[in-house]
Amino acid sequence: MSFVVRQISKRADGGDIIRTRTLEAPEITIGRGTDCDIQLPDLGVMLRHAKLTQLASGLVAIEATGGIPLEIAGKFLNRADLSVAETPEINIASHRLTLAPGEAPGAIAITAERVIAASDAADAAAETDIFSLRGAMPTKRTMAWALVALVFIIGLAWPLTEMIGRSPTLPADMVAAAARPANDGKGNKLTPALSAEAEAAHRGAFKPDVVWTSGPLSTAHAGLSRNCGSCHQQAFVATTDSSCVACHKPSVVPDHASAQRMAKGRLVPTGLGAAEAGIHNAFNLPEGRCASCHKEHEGPDGALMVAQSFCTDCHTGLSARLSDTKISNVSNWEDHPQFKATVVRAASATTPVFERVSLAGKASEQSGLLYPHDLHMSRTNSVANMVLKQGLPAKNGALSCNYCHTSDSDGVRFKPIEMEKACGACHDLAFAKDGPIVRTLPHGKPEQVAGIIRDFYLSQALSPRAGVQRLAFERRQPGRMAELELSGLRFASPAEARVRADAAIDSIFAKNGVCADCHVIRRTGASDAARRYEVAPVSLADHYLPKGRFPHNQHDSYDGKTGDAACVACHKGVPGSKASTDVLLPKVEQCRDCHGSPKVSTNVAASCNTCHGFHYGEGGQGGDYGPAKPKPATIAGAKAGKPGSGPALAGMPAGVASASGGAGAALARRFGG
Amino acid sequence: MASRSQPGGRAVTRAPRDIAHEGFLTHARSRWLKISLGLSALAIAVYVLTDPAPRPNGGSFAGYLLGTIGALMIVWLSLIGLRKRIITTKPFSLKAWTSAHVYLGLSLIVIGTLHTGFQLGWNVHSLSYVLMMIVIISGLYGIIVYARLPAQLSANRNEATQPQMLEAIRTLDRQLDTAAQPLDKASADLVRMSLEECEVSGNLWERLTGRHPKCGNKRARDAVQDIVSQQMRSGKPDPALTQILFLLERKDAALAQARRHIRMKTQLEIWLYIHVPVTMALLAALIAHILSVFLYW
Repeated sequence: MSFVVRQISKRADGGDIIRTRTLEAPEITIGRGTDCDIQLPDLGVMLRHAKLTQLASGLVAIEATGGIPLEIAGKFLNRADLSVAETPEINIASHRLTLAPGEAPGAIAITAERVIAASDAADAAAETDIFSLRGAMPTKRTMAWALVALVFIIGLAWPLTEMIGRSPTLPADMVAAAARPANDGKGNKLTPALSAEAEAAHRGAFKPDVVWTSGPLSTAHAGLSRNCGSCHQQAFVATTDSSCVACHKPSVVPDHASAQRMAKGRLVPTGLGAAEAGIHNAFNLPEGRCASCHKEHEGPDGALMVAQSFCTDCHTGLSARLSDTKISNVSNWEDHPQFKATVVRAASATTPVFERVSLAGKASEQSGLLYPHDLHMSRTNSVANMVLKQGLPAKNGALSCNYCHTSDSDGVRFKPIEMEKACGACHDLAFAKDGPIVRTLPHGKPEQVAGIIRDFYLSQALSPRAGVQRLAFERRQPGRMAELELSGLRFASPAEARVRADAAIDSIFAKNGVCADCHVIRRTGASDAARRYEVAPVSLADHYLPKGRFPHNQHDSYDGKTGDAACVACHKGVPGSKASTDVLLPKVEQCRDCHGSPKVSTNVAASCNTCHGFHYGEGGQGGDYGPAKPKPATIAGAKAGKPGSGPALAGMPAGVASASGGAGAALARRFGG
Repeated sequence: MASRSQPGGRAVTRAPRDIAHEGFLTHARSRWLKISLGLSALAIAVYVLTDPAPRPNGGSFAGYLLGTIGALMIVWLSLIGLRKRIITTKPFSLKAWTSAHVYLGLSLIVIGTLHTGFQLGWNVHSLSYVLMMIVIISGLYGIIVYARLPAQLSANRNEATQPQMLEAIRTLDRQLDTAAQPLDKASADLVRMSLEECEVSGNLWERLTGRHPKCGNKRARDAVQDIVSQQMRSGKPDPALTQILFLLERKDAALAQARRHIRMKTQLEIWLYIHVPVTMALLAALIAHILSVFLYW
């Protein structure tokens, strides 16, 4: 009945110290307490942890006395009977007891050892881990390699796979949209070609090479945002014009001038600029490429944001380099030359002659029409009475500007003036009444007039009908459109009717007749009444400043004024103009009141492209009605004695007045025959 | 004394030395500070005097100029990692090199930002800029802690070495272990908490802040303090527990000192764990940036 206890403890150098004791007792205690038979210096052990009792030879009972179960063969038990022959192991906290048959008969050997090391073995390596960041973070080298790999993969390798493997295609509807004229004359400006949905569809899936973008594309090109190859076609070669013209055909976006003239006109840089140009040329980036002006990846407005300096680079002192140019030198808006209006020099039914005249002096033109603005804008004269009686749009009797000058569909300019609409309310060409039907002389066909009048009189002589009345063009009360019955419309013979008809024709074309109100009439001296009178042709300019755009609708209100007041705020001479030879356009100084003047608070835009366009073709007129189509003013006029040759009076510009001072009196007059 | 006689009669002249310590920030009367300010002013002048259309960016004449200067500077600045491993006084002393590194690096804030033309986006170009700014700001932080912390570190250390600090804690642990042997389980468990659930350093956050809210020693000390206080109110406290409390408090003080030391050392070291790896990432991003610009010219 004895227990042989072998307690093993570790030496500092790693060796074992074994103490052996023999306890002659049937029962021994195990615990941390100093009174225990087997003392385990382990704070995880209870003061009295367990009791070991020998039951029989080779059989012991172990019982937990500290309230903590014992771990025996993987199970936690409060009590167990153990066969010593099986060398059972009992785990208590960090210690293990192993039972085995002792050497002496009936003796039981107990080996007690610490199997989990005490936690105070910190060494020099631990010191570094504790006091430096090595213990808490990966090394700098590891992190550096990881980050470098990440950057190379995302920033270089991945986009490269996209660049090498692609075959870009241009979206068909974007190409179609680019083929549209910049301005088709119906107010359709070059706007973002696609709907938001269509654009999103073009963007398509994410492409890794978008990490190379240097900024968002312009709105018009946004559909190409994930289609880098459509412009960046070749590695290490800057985007070429061929990428641009793949969609933007020269027929739609014409050149400003021929490349050769452009190169000649361009300012030769000096100093730093020369160095820059040299570098550009060395890298195959010469001036005059599309991308010289249109920089992409600059945000929604980017590609169309072109600096004024691009224009003045050439137009400053242009005449010195391009000696045959007709364009004035311009270095900036402040020294923009005076406007040169395209005015009619000689009216003609077929080949009117136009001339560009500076507005610096008192410009005049020869449209052939007689029209005094002052008469029509008076508030006190007979015209004003007529206007009021008829209820025409007017302010206090002064005829409104837009009664004749009606704006076109996009509000930029004005529709051609039609005589019947604009003048007919007062200058009425009715000459007879046939029952309920009013018979009217055709405007613009003087050669027809003589025949119509003659036929009218002759038919009345041969077969007089009741209810047919001749209306007089003679003076009548303003506003009274009442027809005047002529009692004497009865003829003794056709010869008499013929004489009366000739007299009527003479009175229509006479100096104070109805035509002469607005037209210059020349007597040819021919005996035939149809060839006796010639109406001077009328040609009206329909665009005085065709190289620029002036959107009238954006100037509806001006300087706090609206309506007619706004019109005459710029077209100052109109209310007082007595003759249609006056050119009533504002001068360039008028624009500077608002545009680009530091003196006014409404300092609105005044860059070149506020009014001018670059891709308007060599004439500079492409911005109005599609591309590169020089468009002379509408021709209108009629010539007596040339049957069938006279088109109807069609166009009338802003500010044309009568050439005949005396013609005003004829307004409120009808002439009879 | 500038010279002295040697046996053999040869006079050796000592190199003149500054008596007062001159840091890298004021080296050579702040020569590099002046150069950097001049460089920044020049960059601003180039930016302001050129008028690129439609707006300033890296692709303009000034943009390429500033970008080239900036890229060359970044490469040179990163070479300090090699330079500091070579012990020499030429062509620059390491102090001069460091001074130039710091001030030229700071001037990159101006040069780099102007190179961007203030256009940033989710792309490889802005990545380079952001990485550069991270490197510069971490470096700026490094200068600040290098100027402030060493004195505090020295004061906190109070002549003790790092091994001594650890040894003090270990000694207290052994004493606690011994002193706790006669205690009952509840009290012994408290002591085990101090021994087994108490890490001196901890994770990165604990190191940076010096705060260990779950520190086993602190919890053990509070618990034992409660028990002892209770015993004091009801009569005589257990002397063994009082002894344990005394040891726990001493350990607390030792831990606090060590942790303050660790906190300051971490603050002194942490910026390099950003500065150096991000510099490498920046060099990679620069390569990607420059290459991609010309791949998609």
